[in-house]
Amino acid sequence: MKRQVAIGVLYSRSGSYQLLGEASRCGALGGIAAVNADAARSITFVPVEHDPAGRIEAYAPLCTDMLTQTSARHVIGCITSWSRKEIIPVLEKHGGLLWYAAPYEGFEANDHVIYMNAAPNQHLVPLVAHVTARYGRNAFLLGSNYIWGWEMNRIARDLVADAGGEVRGERYLPLGDTDVSRLIEEIRATLPDFVLNNLIGPSSYALYEAYAALGREDERFAAELRPIVSCNLTEQELPSIAPHGEGHLSCLPFMWNGAAGPRSSFEAAAHAAVVMLADAIEAAGTDERDAVRQVMAGLASDTVLGRIRIDPRTQHAGLPAKIGRIRGARFDILQESDGAIAPDPYLSRYDPTTSMRPPLRLVR
Amino acid sequence: MTRRARIPNLGGAKAVVLHRPHPGTEALGRHLAAIGLDVVEAWPELPAAAISADFLFFDVDLGFDAQFPWAPGMAPMPLIALIGSEAPGRIEWALSQKADAQIVKPVGNAGVYSALLIARRAFDERRRLAAEIADLQGRVAERQTIVRAVIALSSGSTDETQAYAQLRALAMSWQVTLEEAARRVVELNNKEASHERPRRA
Repeated sequence: MKRQVAIGVLYSRSGSYQLLGEASRCGALGGIAAVNADAARSITFVPVEHDPAGRIEAYAPLCTDMLTQTSARHVIGCITSWSRKEIIPVLEKHGGLLWYAAPYEGFEANDHVIYMNAAPNQHLVPLVAHVTARYGRNAFLLGSNYIWGWEMNRIARDLVADAGGEVRGERYLPLGDTDVSRLIEEIRATLPDFVLNNLIGPSSYALYEAYAALGREDERFAAELRPIVSCNLTEQELPSIAPHGEGHLSCLPFMWNGAAGPRSSFEAAAHAAVVMLADAIEAAGTDERDAVRQVMAGLASDTVLGRIRIDPRTQHAGLPAKIGRIRGARFDILQESDGAIAPDPYLSRYDPTTSMRPPLRLVR
Repeated sequence: MTRRARIPNLGGAKAVVLHRPHPGTEALGRHLAAIGLDVVEAWPELPAAAISADFLFFDVDLGFDAQFPWAPGMAPMPLIALIGSEAPGRIEWALSQKADAQIVKPVGNAGVYSALLIARRAFDERRRLAAEIADLQGRVAERQTIVRAVIALSSGSTDETQAYAQLRALAMSWQVTLEEAARRVVELNNKEASHERPRRA
């Protein structure tokens, strides 16, 4: 008889980032189905699902409910950093562990969180190195007006400076705002070599559409010459920007190759989180939080993201980085890291001389 | 392009934690390592190598002056106070050490990174201000020198306004402060005076 283990699933299925919530939820449920279908396993998962519906104040009470009204100790959930920070006190109070499967801006290493998606040394650093070496060093930075955009652009300012480039502009839109006409005018006026897009949801979709229109009007803004680049635009959102995304770039730990299974990095990371959790519970013989954290130090799991280890010091996953160009509903992979990149959430091992070498210029 | 101050990269920075082994500070060492610092724990003696540390965390509950090889408030690195009991006498002692930031015990998951950044910035600012004050104090102390220089430059045809203007012009052409120029003028004047003396004798 297999042991049943309750597992929390906390994703928003409506609101400004609903597509990402849906993808992640789909990955978590897919992971649960895979674990439950595996005859070799000694446990099965029973999902306990709550939908905060994109309302920030709903996260903490729903998480409290999972950890106190059910036997769940582990929660797969949260897309935004804001929601993650909202439930951390609840996890601390009730001995829960959050498996956070969205890319984020780094500079956190909480004992109550396992970080399963990319941090800046696994997305932004390789992406900026790639584009500054190929398209030019001058950037225009965009973001939605909250922590992801602010922090990503803060790091990007340093990276661009290290590459020898300059930031031609930095602009923020309120979440959900789709009026990008002024941004487009500024981009046209300042002629950056690439546009770093940290906009979320509808704002981001409006950007791709308006930029494509700009490209038709002014050939200097073709995607092949001056791409929009992103660390969180996945296959999940490509239909929302089609056909305007064509030729633009993303840097992600997973890109869909057309096979069965997860179709985006959000989905894949949530799926991998569930599989890793199952491995850890089996190795520990319990789903108690500290026991699970301890066995994870020596664990390597085969997941849809590849063979994954969690760095015990930071509780972040080592992950590959893939840089892809949008073509239709998928990405053409242009460059990928040589295996997993060890996590470095505080960029404490970042060295501009090796990561951001400015291209050599001919001096006459 | 204007450059703003960057958030410092703390990778490889050295932190000394002056605290007895205790569950309430376990998370501190772990968190510092996660941020990328090299951590040395010590109690009650501060090892000699601590003098080159980039950050020093110290126990406010059981700490005492003799633990530090420097006078209170003269630490050569940012100090972060680890506060358990908020007894006023202990807070007062932490203030006498000029702690640049503090963390309340038990040390949890939050507060370590911000304490590092705040302490670094506060320490650098405190040091910059101390240097600026020392410089200003030095200049205030030179007021008499300026008066003497102006008198030396004054003569029958040069009044004190012109002498002062002349002193400023000298400072500019020598590219030194007004005080330094005054010192030079006074020195030259003294030399001339001492050369003249034997002749008169």
